[in-house]
Amino acid sequence: MSPEIIIPLLAAAVQSGTPILYATLGEIFTEKSGVLNLGVEGAMIIGALTGFLVSRYTGSPALGFLAAGVAGSLATALHGIVCLWFLGNQVVSGLALTILGAGLANYIGTPFVGLSAPGFSPFAVPFLSSIPFLGPVFFQHDILVYVSYCIPVVMVLFLTRTRFGLSLRAAGEYPAAATATGLNVIAYRWLGIVGGGFFMGLGGAYLSLAYTHLWTTNLTAGRGWIAVALVIFAFWRPGRAVFGAYLFGGIMALQLRMQASGTQISSSILLMLPYALTVFVLVLSSWRKGTSEEPAALGVNVEPTE
Amino acid sequence: MVGIRIVKRQAPLGFWGACLVLFSALLLSLLLSGVLLFLGGTPPIKGIITLFQGAFCSRWALEDSVLKAIPIFLCSLGVAVAFRLKIWNIGAEGQFALGAVGATWVALTFPDWPKFVLLPAMICMAMVAGGAWGFIPALLRQRLKTNEIIVTLMLNYIAILFLDYLVYGVWKDPTSFGFPMTPSFSDQAIVGKIGSSTINWGLAHCLVLGVLVWGFFKYTRIGFEVKAAGDSVRAAKYAGLPYDRLVILVMVMSGALAGWAGFLEASATVNRLQPSIMVGYGYTAIVVAWLARLNPLGIGVASILLAGLRVGVENLQLDLQVPAAFGGILEGLILLTVLAGGFFTYYRFERRKKR
Amino acid sequence: MRLFKVVLVVILSLGVCSAFAADKEMKVGFVYVSPIGDAGYSYAHDVGRQAVEAMPGVTTSYVEAVPEGPDSERVMLNMARKGYDVIFATSFGYMDPMLKVAAQFPKTAFFHCSGFKMADNMGNYFGRMYQARYLSGVVAGSMTKSNILGYVAAFPIPEVIRGINAFALGAQSVNPDVVVRVVWTKTWYDPATEKEAAKSLLDVGADVIAQHQDSPGPQEAAEEKGVYSIGYNSDMSSFAPKAHLTAPVWHWGPYYTKMVDEVRKGTWKASSDWPGLAEGIVGLSPFGKMVPQNVKDKVKALEAEIASGKKQVFVGPIKDQKGEVKIADGVAAPDKDLLGMTWFVQGVVGTTK
Repeated sequence: MSPEIIIPLLAAAVQSGTPILYATLGEIFTEKSGVLNLGVEGAMIIGALTGFLVSRYTGSPALGFLAAGVAGSLATALHGIVCLWFLGNQVVSGLALTILGAGLANYIGTPFVGLSAPGFSPFAVPFLSSIPFLGPVFFQHDILVYVSYCIPVVMVLFLTRTRFGLSLRAAGEYPAAATATGLNVIAYRWLGIVGGGFFMGLGGAYLSLAYTHLWTTNLTAGRGWIAVALVIFAFWRPGRAVFGAYLFGGIMALQLRMQASGTQISSSILLMLPYALTVFVLVLSSWRKGTSEEPAALGVNVEPTE
Repeated sequence: MVGIRIVKRQAPLGFWGACLVLFSALLLSLLLSGVLLFLGGTPPIKGIITLFQGAFCSRWALEDSVLKAIPIFLCSLGVAVAFRLKIWNIGAEGQFALGAVGATWVALTFPDWPKFVLLPAMICMAMVAGGAWGFIPALLRQRLKTNEIIVTLMLNYIAILFLDYLVYGVWKDPTSFGFPMTPSFSDQAIVGKIGSSTINWGLAHCLVLGVLVWGFFKYTRIGFEVKAAGDSVRAAKYAGLPYDRLVILVMVMSGALAGWAGFLEASATVNRLQPSIMVGYGYTAIVVAWLARLNPLGIGVASILLAGLRVGVENLQLDLQVPAAFGGILEGLILLTVLAGGFFTYYRFERRKKR
Repeated sequence: MRLFKVVLVVILSLGVCSAFAADKEMKVGFVYVSPIGDAGYSYAHDVGRQAVEAMPGVTTSYVEAVPEGPDSERVMLNMARKGYDVIFATSFGYMDPMLKVAAQFPKTAFFHCSGFKMADNMGNYFGRMYQARYLSGVVAGSMTKSNILGYVAAFPIPEVIRGINAFALGAQSVNPDVVVRVVWTKTWYDPATEKEAAKSLLDVGADVIAQHQDSPGPQEAAEEKGVYSIGYNSDMSSFAPKAHLTAPVWHWGPYYTKMVDEVRKGTWKASSDWPGLAEGIVGLSPFGKMVPQNVKDKVKALEAEIASGKKQVFVGPIKDQKGEVKIADGVAAPDKDLLGMTWFVQGVVGTTK
């Protein structure tokens, strides 16, 4: 393949992977604290709507982006109330959040369909964008893509080098032992849920503020579920999540480009590629005994002590 | 200082207590959604009444709700079997799709077989196809320790696209003016309706399968082993239970039941295969299974409730012009409150004594 | 005597009033396949519904996001049971369910959009959107420099395929070398995927992007790249002010009000209606500033010719992608063939599977 084809393809992989990446990182953060949140899709769509509305009525996309994160946190806080306070089942609660979030966003958002809001536009990073090959692929996007480059690094540092991060992981690995040492496990799980929800909201806002500058019902179109799957794919490691999100986005972009260049393969078959390949790569890495960092107490609620 | 503390109950809450909690939870969710209705400019009490009228308060409404509950029940029964072993089968949606595809293949290939041969053949093929779609993630899990959540989720997308591929391509009805649907099934391939009602005989299938699954866990040795292994994997392995084989067994059973649901949807309700039979029953099934705590009887009740809710929301739209999205809000709120209410089965609040 | 007159007037006016009241309020129901918040196909129908709602003595309601199949049958049954006089169902998959319901409620008038089956009390209708597509193709064919047009399309169903063919024929009529490249997204509204599909077409050299999708995602892609675009459903120029040449759009209002009026007067008979440019059901949105006057004039002239019936879009010789003649020389394809179109004309790159 010639560079004229491969560079736009890889650039598209980065961009279409970015919303999924935000959400995947959010879910990794949540799951590291021991809470399984299947409500990513719900938090994302609420973030997408909030970001759009705030940007439209304040004129500031940056404010909209932040507001989307906060809205994502608020949405996932419902999950926290049900699971952390009332010890509800995490699987059902997450599914309920997905249903509720989509319902709320579509209920409130219908009058705003077909309007536009100020959003982020691409800008090339000086120097970096002129590096051959890497420049056009990684450094000619909008600022939110550059922000997403930093998050995995910060997240890894936070989780492995800071007291808070280590405590958060302890809450997800051995909550009973952590409680015995005086750690407030519930507080750290709250941090995991709300912090993760923030990133999920950002992922949604990426769709309504940067990828496109508009809002419609069902804007997220199932990307939250892909994020849930990619967390497992990434073995709970932020670095691998980057690879997973770009791989998924890349295959999606590739199948569209195959169609554009005139393939005769049925579009149904082409659309299977991203899903089939995700499974295939996962199987390969399971086979090679990739080390998973799945939190030991994932999905297990912590009972209140008297 | 007066505060509230949480106390674990000596014994779990009894039946009536549980009913009271459930009732309060439902009331709370209705209250919250009533507020939303009010904010949206709809009279809330009238809205809620319209909803329930549309779901349960007439013969038609009840029939509609039961009809819609049938595929949800079967998918959920399947999901519950896997969940008993703590195998997270998110793939009922895809297994449902494959079941419909399998049944359709038989119906289109042998349309002239007599009904008493054709229908069982369709059921068998649906179970084989759905079961195979459950077998893949089970095998990957057993051999390579691949996580079944991600594999079943991805297989859902692949199954639905495969169904698309068939109805947009080789199975497209030449008389459908190019629209994606197979030809109508022959009369022998259609599960009929019960008497003068709109409910099909799939309801009877549900009853029989529900009892069978209940009996499987209650009376058979393997059923007992699944339950035991689900409670503690380590203990099960220590006791020499064939855990890996159980995983495969429950996933195949799970897929076969969802496949059966796909067969009923294609044969009894749509009478052909078309992409619009995929409306997310497989995901609803997960919610239903959990709400019912994996109990077949509970699954029956919960699937009728959820189906009724969806039917009732249409009434709400028609009479009061409430957007369809309201159904999602109500469903989500009910799930969250009922879930939170479950807390009071084992715990209670107690006022903290003054110091 | 005078009193008598007053009494008479009062009685008469009361009589008129009650006669008017006896002419009971008509109830009209609509069934939509997607939420009206999709800003596209169902939204366009809902704008038509609002025109019906504005008629005196008529109330309307709708149910949105109704899956085709058993759910739609239930929704239509409920409407009929609740005494709706007229029911419009706006998606192909509602055809067989509507036929079943129509048989049970002979006094209700049923209208099915985009299908072909009929009954005594069930008519069908659709708009000749392909006529407007043809005109938009003429615009695109005149504006392209690379001779590659990109077309982002949802599902390979006849309605979409017909639109792509008409677009291609329109473009070829002014520019024989033009090629239309098609990408299927397999979704009606997923703006991000639609935009990505448009970008993939831009990467292979397309310089006009057209779409059969409900979101303006592809428009944004064209705007950012600095090339042209053709919208759909409604005027999408606010999303791509520099790119948006024009858009084929729906105007369902006139048709819906006419049908409801006929049913009310009792003059309606089930028929198969396929109105188009002539009836104003489809049309083009206002041209962008970059469209030169000669192109505008040409399109206006063609529009008048098609509306008057002097020109038809699908007249042979028309060859398919393999070069086989599908519509013979001088023959106009019958509506039946247009309704079930499953092949691309020559000059379209892509597959209908």
